[in-house]
Amino acid sequence: MNLAGALGASALVAALAAALFALGTSTWGVRRGHAGAIASGRRALYAAAALLTLAMATLAASLLRDDFSLVYVASVSSRDMETAFKWAALWSGQPGSLLLWAWLLSLSLAGVARHLARALPWARGHAQAVSGAVLAAFLVPLVFLASPFEVAAVTPPDGVGLNPLLVDPAMLIHPPLLLAGLTSTAAPFAVGSGALLAGHVDSGWVRAARPWALGSFVVLATGNVLGGWWAYTVLGWGGYWAWDPVENSAILPLLPTIALLHGFAVQERRGMLRLWNLAMAAAAFSLAVFGTFNVRSGLVSSVHSFAQSEIGPYFLGILAAVILGSVALLAWRSPRLSGPHDFESLLSRETGLIVNNYLLTAIALVILGGTLFPVASELVRGVRVTVSEPFYDQAVGPLLALLLLAAAAGVLLPWRRGSPRSLRRRLAQPVAALVGSAALLSAAGVRDPFALGGIVCALTLAAVTLREHWLAARGAPRAGGGGAASWPLAAWSPFRRDPGRYGGYLVHLGAAVMAIAVVASTAYQQQVRVAVAPGESFAAGRYTLTYERLEGRPGTGNGVETDAVATVTVREGDRLLGEMQPGRRFFTNFPDQPMGVVAVRSTWREDLYLFMQGWDEDLVTEFQAFVNPLVIWLWTGAGLLVSGGLLAFGWQRPAAGAGAAGAADAPGPA
Amino acid sequence: MASRSGRAAAALVAGAAALLLGAALLASATLPPGATPALAQEVDPEQQLAIERQLLCPQCVNERLDQCARAICEDMRATIREQLAAGTPPDQIVFFFRARYGDRVLAQLPREGFNLLLFGWVAGSLALVAAGGGFALLRMRRSARRSARAGEP
Repeated sequence: MNLAGALGASALVAALAAALFALGTSTWGVRRGHAGAIASGRRALYAAAALLTLAMATLAASLLRDDFSLVYVASVSSRDMETAFKWAALWSGQPGSLLLWAWLLSLSLAGVARHLARALPWARGHAQAVSGAVLAAFLVPLVFLASPFEVAAVTPPDGVGLNPLLVDPAMLIHPPLLLAGLTSTAAPFAVGSGALLAGHVDSGWVRAARPWALGSFVVLATGNVLGGWWAYTVLGWGGYWAWDPVENSAILPLLPTIALLHGFAVQERRGMLRLWNLAMAAAAFSLAVFGTFNVRSGLVSSVHSFAQSEIGPYFLGILAAVILGSVALLAWRSPRLSGPHDFESLLSRETGLIVNNYLLTAIALVILGGTLFPVASELVRGVRVTVSEPFYDQAVGPLLALLLLAAAAGVLLPWRRGSPRSLRRRLAQPVAALVGSAALLSAAGVRDPFALGGIVCALTLAAVTLREHWLAARGAPRAGGGGAASWPLAAWSPFRRDPGRYGGYLVHLGAAVMAIAVVASTAYQQQVRVAVAPGESFAAGRYTLTYERLEGRPGTGNGVETDAVATVTVREGDRLLGEMQPGRRFFTNFPDQPMGVVAVRSTWREDLYLFMQGWDEDLVTEFQAFVNPLVIWLWTGAGLLVSGGLLAFGWQRPAAGAGAAGAADAPGPA
Repeated sequence: MASRSGRAAAALVAGAAALLLGAALLASATLPPGATPALAQEVDPEQQLAIERQLLCPQCVNERLDQCARAICEDMRATIREQLAAGTPPDQIVFFFRARYGDRVLAQLPREGFNLLLFGWVAGSLALVAAGGGFALLRMRRSARRSARAGEP
């Protein structure tokens, strides 16, 4: 008998039973008003999380011990793989990544159950029932369709090893973070559905769901950025985002999550958007399920389609159930969703936030359409088409620029009612910044309307955000009564005073910086392709590159047979800047799938990005070099964005109209 | 004595050189054959890249032809080079690949026939969000005003 296989499989079955038990007991407890039953439903969710942790540990141990009696272990790992990559093998095949999905889902749902027991007692039973149903739905394929604990009839002496695309350190962190982000959308969904089922949709659920939505945002954003970084440094096509169907699937749930965080602020302050926020929570989770379905089923095959399987139809069923269930629930509860609210003027921050919500919805619809269109074309006409970068650049680019502007407007407008006069005063500086930056940029040679428009919108948002922060920081030390505090303390003080608000502004600043980097590196990328013999030189942008030599190095584990490494020296004028070593990596078990090894030299101004496309018997080698402006600012902006999201966790609802937060709401001092 | 140590040193140097040479040979022996680049010098690389950027790999999804490492893309790039050298106009080269592999190798979705549905979807989404959003905002404002009036003494 295979111990690991038996232990893992029973843990999965027991977890499924626990999830179903949580569903049943919580429902019964709610119906009968039996607090003990609801409490045991909660404990069943904890138990499911514990059992899935055990299953993960079992699979990890099998991978680390090279236990090839498990079919899954033999298909993704091999003896010569480094320990780190054996961990990555945990989620690099279909069954393993499904197990990771279910485990992360169970952790966030158990966390929600624990949180709601105190924070939202009247909806805890309902939320637990929803959680149990969701968890069970995702455990069924793991138990019946794609178990990672299937035992091989004959144990092979060695495994196949990791897919070459995945032999990269980023694979240790990008998939788990992204899956954590996708599964975490279940948390606000569970809270919202629980509140809706319980029939209370005032701001109580908003307070309980906000930290979960914020966490979801931070993790999803980080996962997406790491995905871009992996594409940039591993896939070797000179870019970080290709509007690949799978990338789209990963970014889609992020859009309603951003909308939700802003919608929460409006609902809390004004009692508006009750239906909308619940719909956004459901949309984020539905899109996360759609993304998983898209990747798992190979519906739109792509570089990620190594995770293809037959469980696609099952996921389609879950997706349909989530969407139809949410719509039915919202329709059933709609009489309670239109309570009194407090909306004074279209010229207000709430309008700005609502318009941002609408823009995010439009962006999500466009991306969804582009992602699904090839499927529609194949189904209807039998013709495969590709929707790629040019479409998204044209359709989504302007909407993103508008989103930046609308974010700036939202920050400038006061809550409740802006008087046109105060608005004119507040708008004067940003408009000056907008016009001034446009003039300066076009004088500096930025003539491309797409680039100019995008950068100007981003600069406006950055200027508005920095100004708000500066105004808040300037007022801070004196309010503390300690005289002139040092400037770092003053700069930090807004985060202490109102972390939700100024953390959010830091997210905006990060987004603006990222937007500038994206526009610059898209519009002003230089691409050079040459075939040179060793000793010859070529130019790329400001740089002169000399191809020194090409050598083969025997592989050092991880399934690598040979590394072909080119050495290229980089000069700017006469100054030697250093060496770059792009290469090509050949794998023993994947002879048709050599991987390019990219060399990148980053400065604050631009990246020199070099890869090798092939060579002939005389070692004449084909290189492609890109000069990508400002790419380092993409990662910097992402760092700001994530830091802002983390700072915003220190959020407390400011007492209405009182204290420092109230004062900060007033128009800035003239 | 001195000559012996000199000979020993020479032998050592020769041995080391042989070892290095052997290592170098061994190293180059492990270098697997790469695809032949042979960029024809008479073809303008800018022009070739411009054509390649309009095309996608027929086997991958969303992988631009100028960057794909698959053998089929190496062949396609070689074909483009030959056709450019033979004086074929760029449009015809793109058309050639479209005819051979179908619409999925076009980076820019042709704006014709069924594909117009996608552009209709974009326009429809924007119109729906703008109209629906505007309507919802106005309605929220009206209902808020009504309830405010009702709340007044």
